[in-house]
Parts: sequence; structure tokens; C-alpha cells
Amino acid sequence: MISDITIGQYYSGNSVLHRMDARMKLILTFASIVAIFLCKNFFSLGLMVIFTVAATLLSCVPAKMVIKSLKPIIVILIFTAVLNIFYTTGGDTYFKWKFIEITEEGVNTAIFMAIRIVSLVVLSSLLTYTTTPTLLTDALERILSPLKVFKIKVHTLAMMMTLALRFIPTLIEEINRIMNAQKARGADLETGGIVARAKALIPIFIPLMISSFRRAYELAFAMTCRGYTGGEGRTRMKQMKLRVSDFIACAVVCALVGGIIALNIYFEAVI
Amino acid sequence: MTSAIEITGLSHYYNKGTPNEVAAIKNANLRIEKGELVAIIGHTGSGKSTLISHFNGLLKPDEGKVFVDGKDIWQSKESLRESRFKVGLCFQYPEYQLFEDTVFKDIAFGPKNMKLDDEEVKRRVLRAAQLAGVKPEHLDKSPFDLSGGEKRRAAIAGVMSMQPQVLVFDEPAAGLDPHARKQLIDMIKSYREQTGCTVIFVSHSMEDVAYLADRIIVINQAEIAMQGSVSEVFSRGDELTSMGLNVPEITRIFLMLREKGYDVPKDVYTVGQAVPHIKRLMEGGRAI
Repeated sequence: MISDITIGQYYSGNSVLHRMDARMKLILTFASIVAIFLCKNFFSLGLMVIFTVAATLLSCVPAKMVIKSLKPIIVILIFTAVLNIFYTTGGDTYFKWKFIEITEEGVNTAIFMAIRIVSLVVLSSLLTYTTTPTLLTDALERILSPLKVFKIKVHTLAMMMTLALRFIPTLIEEINRIMNAQKARGADLETGGIVARAKALIPIFIPLMISSFRRAYELAFAMTCRGYTGGEGRTRMKQMKLRVSDFIACAVVCALVGGIIALNIYFEAVI
Repeated sequence: MTSAIEITGLSHYYNKGTPNEVAAIKNANLRIEKGELVAIIGHTGSGKSTLISHFNGLLKPDEGKVFVDGKDIWQSKESLRESRFKVGLCFQYPEYQLFEDTVFKDIAFGPKNMKLDDEEVKRRVLRAAQLAGVKPEHLDKSPFDLSGGEKRRAAIAGVMSMQPQVLVFDEPAAGLDPHARKQLIDMIKSYREQTGCTVIFVSHSMEDVAYLADRIIVINQAEIAMQGSVSEVFSRGDELTSMGLNVPEITRIFLMLREKGYDVPKDVYTVGQAVPHIKRLMEGGRAI
């Protein structure tokens, strides 16, 4: 139940995408997400879909896993599609009944929106599937490091993120343990109305809070004992290096954006 | 007479249906009679905790059946809930489950869940506090103001207050100093003597096992490797060692003395049993 939550859903592998530099991956993912929203007609959108599918195949992440990442957004997907069908009007009318009207533009917008959302989620999950959370925050730290000029503590933020991700499994385990202990004392977590269920969570959350604070203190002490003083002058165990393949990937994404813009100009916009 | 707990053909797998499937417990059969004091020993990760989580239905067996007091606990929702109150489970580091603002309320959590009236709840809380050795003046304090050993007693009282027929402890003395450890072990002993309930405990300390238990169940690599009386199990020291376990220290010392040619028995498992033999040796019972 609780263990189904996947944040930091890394799928270990050794594909081209896994081996790419995390910084480049992060930037390129961002760029291709922007590209999704540049698409103005079905040709450019088609190019985008080809790119997304190709990236998925390259990552060697099983299709089942990718589809699983779409599960939580199915409701949003259907909701936006339906809303767009009925609320956008223009072009030929396909169907009309009293105040309900389905038009060409409505259908187009709905399809566009659905495909955009799906590729957005697929691309961003590919990033988390192929990059470990630590590498990801590390990359984020380096990309954001110019912000140090504005006195933003980039390292501290990145460290906080790393620690937060690191402790998710630990906390899940802890919750399970406390839940079992309280269940053994007859706590009923499964039945009753909303109020009763919310109340039933008190015996779980108070011990959880207490142990989280304890853990936080212990961790802070342990880090201090090992000489941690923050980001100043820290060197890295893993040096990130850009390789030829990273530049090829960069070129591919540039070509994608260029292609989308060209197709947008060449063909008529539908949205 | 029905057994307190009977388990037949029990298996439990983690990550079932994935390539990482591992058996946490495989085809376990055991019977624990009413009033027995049974120790479960085994290497870390051998499946002890998984096994005891089946006793009150926290885990559902993938194969096999669990009977508490002769009743299949997975028969219906009621029988499952009943088993929660019949079998009290006290996990490792139980002090981490304290949550109420006073010790009294925390101990009352179990009985309240049993929907007993206030009078009965109070009676049970006081009785449990006395059994677990919680000082009366601590009952109105916040559990978080107590010391480590006191917290643990309060948490144990929280399980005892349900007055279960079977009380299961998972490493009750883990992380306590030697003095608190001794007190806790004695508390378990007197609890059994006073209530006559069945007690099952998991331990890594062979000394505690020898001191407390009537019977030992040895688990190794997800299977029940041995079952028997203290002397039956500890007489198979070599097998225990191969499972990453051991016999009590005093037993080892006596075995060494025997090797050196002293006339001492090999079935000595507690310091108490050892004292007369040592005395005899000191008074001039020389080597034979």
C-alpha cells in the first residue's frame, strides 16, 4: 500500500540515457518539455511523439514501467480532454445537441492537450528512471550554482533535497513498523468515517514525528562529527564530465526544436 | 486441550511474483501449548520477526494456516480481530510506539480499542502497570519524560493491559544496559508466574533463553531448524554454531572444563546451575 509510492523511482540499467551526464539530461529534458509546447500542428506534434518514443526505447526502461508512471494522471488527462472538447469552439461542427457542441477545434485541442500531457510526463519520468536521485540533485546543484551570486545557498538546498529523498524509504519503513505496533494494540485503521480514520492516524503520526526529529538530530550530529561544514571548499567524489554522446544528444534536441519550428512555419497551425 | 498457537505449513514470501521473490518463512509447523514459555532464536534475518507477525494476523500467510486457541484466525474478520486481542505482540523497541500525553492513557489505548467500560479499563491499566513494573507515580507523567528503561516498561504495559492469552516479545531487552536487562527478564518471568499466560520471546541472548525458556524453537534460513527443550537444543552446540548461534557462555566454559579433564556435567545452562559444581571443584574435587 504505502510502499507503492515511488518518488525517486530509479530503474537501474546501463542504457545510453543512463550513462549520459546528469546535467545535460536535466537541461535537455527541460528543453524538450518546452519543445512540447512549441508544437502548433499535427506534423510538429508527430515529430515530438517520435522523439518521445525514441527516447523511451533508448532508455531500455520497460514500457510497463513507463505506463505505470502515467497512471496517476489518467483522471487529469480525461478531465482536460473532455473539458476541451466541449469548451473550445470553432471550425466545422461535428455534433450538436441543445447547448452541447463538438467542433473541429475542440477535438483538435483535446487531442493536443492529451498528447502534450502524456509526453510531458513520459519525458520527465524518463529522467527520474534513468538518473539516481543523488545524481539528479548533484546536477541541479551545479546547474543552479551561478545563483550563488545572489547569495542563494544552492549547496544547502541540494543537500536538503538529497537527504529528503534518502529518508523516504526509511520513513516508509518506520510508518509500517509503527502501524503494526498500534494494530497489535487493536488500533482500527481500516474502518469508520473520515473523522474516525483521521483520529486513528494520531497514534501513528505522533511517534513518527518524534522519531523523525530524533533521526534529524542524530544525522546532524553524525554529519558534524564527520566534519561537514556546508558547501564551502567541498570537493566531489564523482566528477561530472561531458562526453561526446552528451553533445550528440544536445544536437539531437536542438534538431528537434529546429524541426518543430520549421514544421510550424511550413504547415498551417491548428491550435 | 487446544494449543495456544498452532501453525501448519506456513510460508510467507516477500516481493511475491517479482524476480526478487524471497521466502521469509518456509513450510513452518509448530505448536505452542498453553502456559508454555517458548524462546525463538535465530540469526538476524532468519525470519523470526516474520514468523511472530503471523501469530496475531499482522501478516497473512501465503500458504498454511494459523490457529489461535484452536480457531483459524483468517476465517473471518471477527476471528482476525479477536486474535489481535488474544495474542499481544510487543515489537522491538516498543518505546517508539508511545504517543499519548500520559503513561496511563497510553497503557489504556489497547483496552479502549477493545471497547471495555472505563472501570474495567482502569482496572486493567493498574494491573498491567504493576505487572510491567511501571511506578504508580509515573502514570500521570508524559511518557516522553521517562528514562529509556521506564519507557520500555510503559510500552510493554500497553500490550499487557489487553490481557492477552499469549504475549509475544521481539527482543525485549535489546539496547538496555545490563541492569535494566536483568530487571526486564525477571519481569517477564514473574509475569508468567503471576498470570500463567503463554509467553513467547525472541532473543539473541542465549543466557536469557537458558534462564527463561521451557522450550526453544530455532529458525535458520526461513525454516524451523530445531524444536525442543533447552537441554535438547543446547546439546547440539555444533549445529547451533553453524547457524551463527551459540550455546550460553557458561555451557561453553563447562565444555572446556570437561575437555581439560574436570568432572563436570555438560548440561549446565545457567550460572545458577553452575554454582554447586564450581563450589565442589574449588573444595578439592580434582581432575579425574
